[in-house]
Amino acid sequence: MSYKIPMGPYHPALEEPYKLDLICEGETVQDAKLHIGFNFRGIEHLAETRNYIQVIALMERVCGICSNIHTLTLCQAMEGLTGLTPPPRALYIRTIMAELERLHSHVLWAGIAAKLMGFKTMFMTCFELREKVMDVLQAISGNRVNYSMNRIGGVNRDITEPDAILKMVEALELEMARTVIPIFTTSSTARSRCAGIGVLTGEKAISCGVVGPVARASGLAQDIRRAAPYAAYSEMEFDVPVQLDGDVRARLLVRALEIMESCKILRQALAKLPPGEIHTEGEKFPFMTGTATSRVEAPRGEVMYSVSWKEGSRNPARVHVRTPTFAVMPAIRWMVVGARLADTPLIQASIDPCYSCTDR
Amino acid sequence: MTTAAMTPLEAVSEILHTKEPWVDTGGVHWLSPGDLKVRDLAKAMNELHARFITITAYQLPGEQGFRMEYHWDLDGCLLGFPFLLAGTSIESIYDLCEAVDWIEREIHEGFGIDFSGREYEPLLLRQGDTMGVNLREEKK
Repeated sequence: MSYKIPMGPYHPALEEPYKLDLICEGETVQDAKLHIGFNFRGIEHLAETRNYIQVIALMERVCGICSNIHTLTLCQAMEGLTGLTPPPRALYIRTIMAELERLHSHVLWAGIAAKLMGFKTMFMTCFELREKVMDVLQAISGNRVNYSMNRIGGVNRDITEPDAILKMVEALELEMARTVIPIFTTSSTARSRCAGIGVLTGEKAISCGVVGPVARASGLAQDIRRAAPYAAYSEMEFDVPVQLDGDVRARLLVRALEIMESCKILRQALAKLPPGEIHTEGEKFPFMTGTATSRVEAPRGEVMYSVSWKEGSRNPARVHVRTPTFAVMPAIRWMVVGARLADTPLIQASIDPCYSCTDR
Repeated sequence: MTTAAMTPLEAVSEILHTKEPWVDTGGVHWLSPGDLKVRDLAKAMNELHARFITITAYQLPGEQGFRMEYHWDLDGCLLGFPFLLAGTSIESIYDLCEAVDWIEREIHEGFGIDFSGREYEPLLLRQGDTMGVNLREEKK
């Protein structure tokens, strides 16, 4: 006899509200239905009521973790409509901010995954590391969450102390290589909780159109930084970590390896940071009528913005945001089928979901 | 027949049997679908192993209807296919492309557009019980 177990919308295993109706036979999940919308704020509609300055601040609120990515993508799209090209130093600062944000997001996720696996000390270690990244973000931007770094044609603040960032990168790399990665890769507890759990096959990953670390953990080597470089990524050397197993462990490994790659990118960007202006000169620029689109690789995968402008308007006619979790979350249904009920919190956490992004 | 020597754009033109020119604007390679049906486009994209990204809906002024922009990624190229809707209905491609499920449901709720040939469960990305109240302009 099958029975339905509702998980959420408010549940100790979920950081944000969403609902998973699990259809179980005994302890085994047979099917699942996902319900979203509990964080719906109507941001796309609100964007139509904001001018080209206000809309940047608004879209920064789409996500609390990757707020910088949203303004970066939006500004890149709006630069497409204004014809403005940010100066080289601004492109490097955008790259540095994006990688710092990836570090902060991935280390936070590693802490949560550790907690769900029962490694509470590792949770504290990861959050201590994350704190160091956030200190650097605060030192650069003055803010810990919404950094207000991006503007049309460049960035708002310069990086004046690259050595401080380098010091943090070195400490993070050391701690990741010494503690976090060995425990995630060699601990028998981590292996038993993650290996073979929540599998998303490569075939299913393609059919669901998943993105980011979830796609790369299922064998798909897709990364917008490599496939369609933006900011200063074309000048960076880095690897795109790919795992083939498609399980929770593969997702964990991909993110852990991506932390090391982010450190590699940060070292290069800080070393090569070109001198010069951080934004284009002059305050006035016209918006071209039409639509522009931009994509970036957020910590959770590809973000895409489509922005449309009408002639003479100060407000966008339409801003459409396709967030990575919106693309990845439907695949949870396939990950939990056949899994034990007790594994479902870790499986759903393994995609690093952001419900605020999804609902907007 | 597509070959490995073709660029992604040439491969798409070949499989769609079209000589329409690609227009590169706003970060997208656009191809006007002409008489092409959206389901035939989805089949062609599947054949090329293109990755579905999203659909963006725009309400056009007055009684002009809607523009639906379908986006796929092919080897890092962002492809765009704009379809004009005089009414409020277009064929669903959900049975051909699983990845469109949530975006079709979201557009259905936000703009009140019907994707024919599929059933919906609510995504709850809307206010109240009425379809098309969030993103569709009110007709007075």
